Amino acid sequence: MTDLTIPNDLWDDDSEGSIASWFFSDGDDVSKGDLVAEIMNEKVTNELLAPASGVLKILVAAEQPVSKGQVIAQIAG
Amino acid sequence: MQSNATPIGNRHHRLWMYQAMVQSRELETRIKTIYFEGKLPVFNMAKGPIPGEMHLSVGQEPCAVGVCAHLRPSDFVTATHRPHHVAIAKGVNLRAMAAEIFGKETGLSHGLGGHMHLFDASVNFSCSGIIGEGIAPAVGAAVAMKIQGRDDIAVSFMGEGATNQGQFHEALNLASLWKAPVVFIIEDNAYGISVSKAESTSVASNADRAAAYGMPGVFVPGNDPDAIYEAAGEAVARARAGGGPTLIELETHRLEGHFVGDTVEYRPPAELESLATLDPITLFRARLEADGHDGAELNAIEAEAISLADDAIAFARNSEYPAAREAFAHVFA
Amino acid sequence: MSSPDTVEKTKSSATAPRQRRLTIARALNEAIHQEMTADASVVVLGEDLAKIGGVWSTTGGLLDAFGADRVRDTPISESGFIGAAVGMAAVGLRPIVELMFVDFFGVCMNAISSLAAKQRFFSGGQVKCPMVLMTSVGGGYSDGGQHSQCLYATFGHLPGLKVVIPSNAYDAKGMLRSAIRDDDPVVFMFHKGVHGLGWLGTVPRAATHVPEEEYYVPLGKAAVAREGTDLTFVGLGLTVHHAIDAANVLQKEGVSCEVIDLRSIAPLDRDTIRASVRKTGRLIAVDDDYMSYGVSGEVIASVCEDAGIALKATPRRLCFPDIPIPFSPALEPGLLPNGERLAALAREVLSEKRT
Repeated sequence: MTDLTIPNDLWDDDSEGSIASWFFSDGDDVSKGDLVAEIMNEKVTNELLAPASGVLKILVAAEQPVSKGQVIAQIAG
Repeated sequence: MQSNATPIGNRHHRLWMYQAMVQSRELETRIKTIYFEGKLPVFNMAKGPIPGEMHLSVGQEPCAVGVCAHLRPSDFVTATHRPHHVAIAKGVNLRAMAAEIFGKETGLSHGLGGHMHLFDASVNFSCSGIIGEGIAPAVGAAVAMKIQGRDDIAVSFMGEGATNQGQFHEALNLASLWKAPVVFIIEDNAYGISVSKAESTSVASNADRAAAYGMPGVFVPGNDPDAIYEAAGEAVARARAGGGPTLIELETHRLEGHFVGDTVEYRPPAELESLATLDPITLFRARLEADGHDGAELNAIEAEAISLADDAIAFARNSEYPAAREAFAHVFA
Repeated sequence: MSSPDTVEKTKSSATAPRQRRLTIARALNEAIHQEMTADASVVVLGEDLAKIGGVWSTTGGLLDAFGADRVRDTPISESGFIGAAVGMAAVGLRPIVELMFVDFFGVCMNAISSLAAKQRFFSGGQVKCPMVLMTSVGGGYSDGGQHSQCLYATFGHLPGLKVVIPSNAYDAKGMLRSAIRDDDPVVFMFHKGVHGLGWLGTVPRAATHVPEEEYYVPLGKAAVAREGTDLTFVGLGLTVHHAIDAANVLQKEGVSCEVIDLRSIAPLDRDTIRASVRKTGRLIAVDDDYMSYGVSGEVIASVCEDAGIALKATPRRLCFPDIPIPFSPALEPGLLPNGERLAALAREVLSEKRT
């Protein structure tokens, strides 16, 4: 089981961001390196890639606020 | 109507310029903060008390005040999608302008226009959200006022990006051909969104383009209100006296992004760092003090600007939204 | 053939097929990448496209992949660079031009309506004009009356232009690949309300499964986005989703609605519209352009001109009224079509007693 975490250096300050889009659904197979989500901080969009291959379990829905360091999904290999 | 700034006749023009610059900055500082209200942490441009795009003029205030210090309410001014500093220097009512930016009934246009479409007929000010759109109307207004026998003039503000529009060239030719009492002001902030002037413009100085249309072209470096005041004064006097149009290119600095939320990653880091030393308000205040102006008086000007900005924002916030019928009320006469 | 309703995800099993989903913005970007890789004559030019990848994120990565000769930032000189694209197309390139907002086309309308649209015709077929003119359309986020229009009809009215607009990412990619390969000028509109940039909000349903493999969606062909028997909604771009929303509500009330996604404004797929209304007998056309002389009127005329269609109710339409788009957040939303207003209009249509 690999956590999908919002990296601590994705933006500078400690403000919250949000999940703009999930590119796979809960339960989908993803491959390591796949673009799985877009994370926004203010008007800036950042990409999140799958850190491992496996089945995606989404923990935080799109358009919800998120913080740096937060685990937003898990990938079961 | 409440006015933004003490009429220039009652205050030395340098203090008036300082006052109008600070007034614009104070209003825009508040707008920038409020712009993010309701848009975080899930940023959505449609949300919050100030929805839509927002283009701030922070850093470009000297261009507005140096030129508008020479203008009367009856002179005709067109500005751009980045209009706040010019509107304030031209004397547009601050409360009604703020309310328009919030989309309220008490706004200049009852909320129909918004921040890129500020119209105040009482001081002959307007702006447009499309690049280069204001240049030809300024020529037309100038010719009209000449036909009417008035000694009023027109001024068109534009960014340096607009000089690559066909309309710029067509309008300058007409202005020169018809000896229109008009002054063209290029606010050269070096970028059209992300594309730098060097990457978009075939000449180093847009003032040189005046030669193609047989009018004087003036370049003013340094984003310096005093130098702009001087250059604009000559051009305005020439226009009023029947001497025809002038093209003035002003070097200025866009201290914010193209719009609020722009990360400006297309600008080199060293350039971005240097912006911190280029705030024209800080620099102008230091020069005024060096020239013997009383710090207490400058503080009082700042306090007044803060108070007027707070008042305008409170007025906008507390105003009602327009009724639905307002949208249909002004399509035709 | 795709439709927004075909995107329900296969639910979790470790053997589920790989169902990568893309936003329309990313689908368009992938389409351009693939066509530029396949054909060296495809070039991209426009404002803020190269270095920052476009304000609508449609051209990211192209400069690095294909170089400055093929991916150019232009000055704000639309008459110049769109006119130039017509010339590029005349000598064998396939230019893709983006101009941020359809509202901005006024300054360069001559290059579009008098050059691009007519090059083939005036030359008696000797000179083609294979170019794509991409632009964003639509409002609803208080960007004021010069950044919020749709102007479908303005372009659909000009012979010689193909005008298309996708409602979902699958179609977006397939239609753009078709547009780039098309030998005629194609105005490719993308609606901000379904584009998939987080900061504008978006309809999640518009982000669909998009295969990486080569596929094409034909231009000029409407899609049945949802099948039904009682009433036909005809929409395009964002309003397809309003129609699906309305159909979902009405389904709970026992009404079966068919939704036609036009996908193309010009040519207009009148056959698909007629076939649907022949079946349902009821028609509501919906678009977010100004009402008069618009797509909705053309859709309704297509049905009324067919004597073989027995109507059970008067055809109706829901559009933006004939006024410039107001800025105020208190005014604009109430003027735009949405699912709720569409459902209410459908109830009126369904209760109509014909005399």
